[in-house]
Amino acid sequence: MIKCHSETIRTPLCDAVLAITSDTNAGIYMRENTFGHLNLRGNPTDKAFLSSIETVLALNLPLIPCSSVRSDVFSVYWLGPSDWLLMVPIGTESQVAADLRDSLMGQHSAVVDISSAQALVNLSGVKLPELLQKAIVYDCDPTHLPVGKVVQTTFAKTGVTLCRCEDGSIDLIICRSFSDYFTLWLRDASAEYGLAVVDACLSRPKVSAQT
Amino acid sequence: MLQIYCPYCQELREETEFSYSGEAHIARPLEPQQLTDAQWADYLFFRTNPRGIHHEMWYHASGCRRYFNATRNTQTYEIYETYPLGQQPALTCDIGGKR
Repeated sequence: MIKCHSETIRTPLCDAVLAITSDTNAGIYMRENTFGHLNLRGNPTDKAFLSSIETVLALNLPLIPCSSVRSDVFSVYWLGPSDWLLMVPIGTESQVAADLRDSLMGQHSAVVDISSAQALVNLSGVKLPELLQKAIVYDCDPTHLPVGKVVQTTFAKTGVTLCRCEDGSIDLIICRSFSDYFTLWLRDASAEYGLAVVDACLSRPKVSAQT
Repeated sequence: MLQIYCPYCQELREETEFSYSGEAHIARPLEPQQLTDAQWADYLFFRTNPRGIHHEMWYHASGCRRYFNATRNTQTYEIYETYPLGQQPALTCDIGGKR
């Protein structure tokens, strides 16, 4: 649960994570991070497109494959040669999308709010390399997946977008509809290491009995 | 398992991220209504089945979600090159009667 614009909203992994009993001596730590997710499409060889984006975000779009850029406010992930994922502070996604559409008016481009379609999970812990080896065929060693690199690959039988964070942990962006599958798989695979949920905002307040 | 070089992601990835999408370089007839049934069926259904070099499309389904072409040896499974759609292969061979 998080507070947003005076409303309480349920995070994608809210229910799934409740079933996890946090291990005090865990090898894997899991945190759900909530952002607004915007998908951005456009022609990277079009200078007008690039400058329109830069005007709004104060960031240059990452044009190098599998790279990302970030500022204090936004993160932009390269997903394909004309495809980017923009992560914005939760609650601001509508405004940022509107600003982008205004700036891109008349251009061959698209801005789509996909916040409710995706979930972002941050995994860390001393047993993280072993855990990832079970699920991901991509080589996630820091020499192969350095800080800031973005890789779209498979996680068990679902898709995932990976990004190495500066603290060495890994952000995993999964489909919201696969969050149950993802957490069940994670519980099973991390049973031998111990799993802990490290974000208090995921806990759901008790429902008072109706009288 | 094959390792396939995605020309868009610009690195080798595991075969499980990809799916095969059939023969490459098949041009859709500009005026389908002018074709005989036999010509239309040939365009629609009939594919070369070469032993040796084959130009084919692959889809990076779990990655960048882009189609690209590959030149593969159907006998040894060796992939000689991958290149973006719209480009011509560097390696060609008439073994399969390429269209």
